[in-house]
Amino acid sequence: MASKYSERPVKQGDLPNVVDELMSDALPLGCYATQRTVRTLFLSRSGVRGLRTALDGDEKWRSLAQRYPFFSYHEREMQALQEIVVQSSPDERPLYFSSDAIPEAIVAEGKGISGVVVGPVHAGIIEPGRFTISTGGESVVHIDAQLSYSHRALEPWFEGQEALALAPRVARICGNCSVARSWAYARAIEELAGVELDDCTEFARLVLAEMERVHVHLFDIGSIAAGAGYDRGTTAALGLRERICQVNNVASGHRLLFDSVVPGGVKAGIFADPGIVRTTLRELRDDVARFCDALLAKRSLLRRLEGAGVVERPLARRFAAVGPSGRASGIACDVRAIAPYGAYRGCAFSEELAGGGDVYARAEVRVREIERSFDLIERGLREVEGRKLSAPRQVDAAAGIITTVVEGARGAESISLELSKGGRIDRLHVISAAYRNWPLVTRAMEGNIVPDFPLVNKSFNLCYSCVDR
Amino acid sequence: MSLEKFLHSLGIRHLVCGSCNGCELEMNALAAPQYDISQEGWGVVASPRHADVITVTGPMSEAMRHAAQMTIEAASEPLVVVAVGDCASGDGVWCEAGSAGPGAGRELEASIFVRGCPPSPDALREGLRAAATLLDGRKS
Repeated sequence: MASKYSERPVKQGDLPNVVDELMSDALPLGCYATQRTVRTLFLSRSGVRGLRTALDGDEKWRSLAQRYPFFSYHEREMQALQEIVVQSSPDERPLYFSSDAIPEAIVAEGKGISGVVVGPVHAGIIEPGRFTISTGGESVVHIDAQLSYSHRALEPWFEGQEALALAPRVARICGNCSVARSWAYARAIEELAGVELDDCTEFARLVLAEMERVHVHLFDIGSIAAGAGYDRGTTAALGLRERICQVNNVASGHRLLFDSVVPGGVKAGIFADPGIVRTTLRELRDDVARFCDALLAKRSLLRRLEGAGVVERPLARRFAAVGPSGRASGIACDVRAIAPYGAYRGCAFSEELAGGGDVYARAEVRVREIERSFDLIERGLREVEGRKLSAPRQVDAAAGIITTVVEGARGAESISLELSKGGRIDRLHVISAAYRNWPLVTRAMEGNIVPDFPLVNKSFNLCYSCVDR
Repeated sequence: MSLEKFLHSLGIRHLVCGSCNGCELEMNALAAPQYDISQEGWGVVASPRHADVITVTGPMSEAMRHAAQMTIEAASEPLVVVAVGDCASGDGVWCEAGSAGPGAGRELEASIFVRGCPPSPDALREGLRAAATLLDGRKS
């Protein structure tokens, strides 16, 4: 199988025009640097396209973020880790910091504007981040999200390590998108090595990825209910999610499916009894459907979701929104549909779109996606049942450069991998769906009331660990 | 209500110091009906000043170090720090990474270590029970 990644050189002077052109029909994935080489990545129907820009001597990077704000984190990261100087950046603060040198927050100024700061430690079981909210009366004028509190400098540490041995750590970069990231990582290694897998293994991977989507979507729907003050809905969602975690454990030996997708296939011994998994999930599916119907029929709840945190389609487009949050604003961005991989290639999958762009739309897209996931799981388990899943294939990691993308529960999860001979890592860059969507969350809040921040934030429910790394 | 049940109620403040969120997913599972820790009189509180227990996760990231210390200092005595997961316990997958510390639980002098990557909700419940017993003070 030929690699679906290709790249071409583009001079920095030509880059804005090329990016403009690609923005109209491809999904932008962001940019990253390896020393003085910057790669700007797009996903098109024919695969991942890289634009390779080599910077001369002390050439500065001219920020693309003024025009396309989602580049901001990517560029600040290039400055922090590769010491590339970014010119005309809309946000010049260092992306990473130690606790004795936290950069000043950006606040709105003007008559009648006051501020609220929350975090980095929060009043729930959530990851750390500091939000500085500028308000005018009850309304939010501006939010500055300072993340990076979970930064562990993982990427520099990856360099020089053996790619195959690193798989269990890649599975733990983020607990919410573990299967998706493991799959993207495995694909990167396999595609570089020219390894193809049998259908049964590909379907097992698809089932695992969809089981992850179901448990994360249920968690996110429960979080939306919590953000709207509807605890009954949260408890019910957590109860259903717990049942799928127990199925995950039966299927894979891990409640969150960590380490279930490995380079060369799936973990040995997985899906020992696919029939039990299928029967249990069918019962669960009915209960999930009943719960979602009931939730979206509760009128007082709906009134809190409708019209909150609206992201109009043009804004979503300019911010390159991905995942259910992008699709809720009408953006076609599902990697399973745009550039199908693995067993999705034979599944005639079409993505779930909505138009409202509000919290309700983000909930509704997830509800519909859970149904699709259950369809895919049933289909996949039928393929696995009655056949013997093979143990992971031996893979000899080969040198090369590649970016692979997988649709995780929160959107496009990509791995950029540069391997040298012998399968050692020259560069491993992780761009998560959350990293892509964070800048949009703060924009979605503008003009909303302060008490809706938890609700709007939870309707995206973005992770931090894969963003901060 | 028995005196023991009353004394074993817990206000829990949760502190994330570079965790992958796996431990958080399992901590959140404790609110599911299958575990429902509210029946034990346990709940997550909105301020460290309301906390009997601080649960900590992650290897300890450089950026969280100060906020973590302040959270511990803000809580009143007696306080039990519970390390949740292998990272916080000092031998998780990130303990050797660039800006990661030796385990948030080690750094913040946890007295209870709940192992696992992540620990199961059952293991977490056992760890919290142990914390409640420690806080009770009537037994060793």
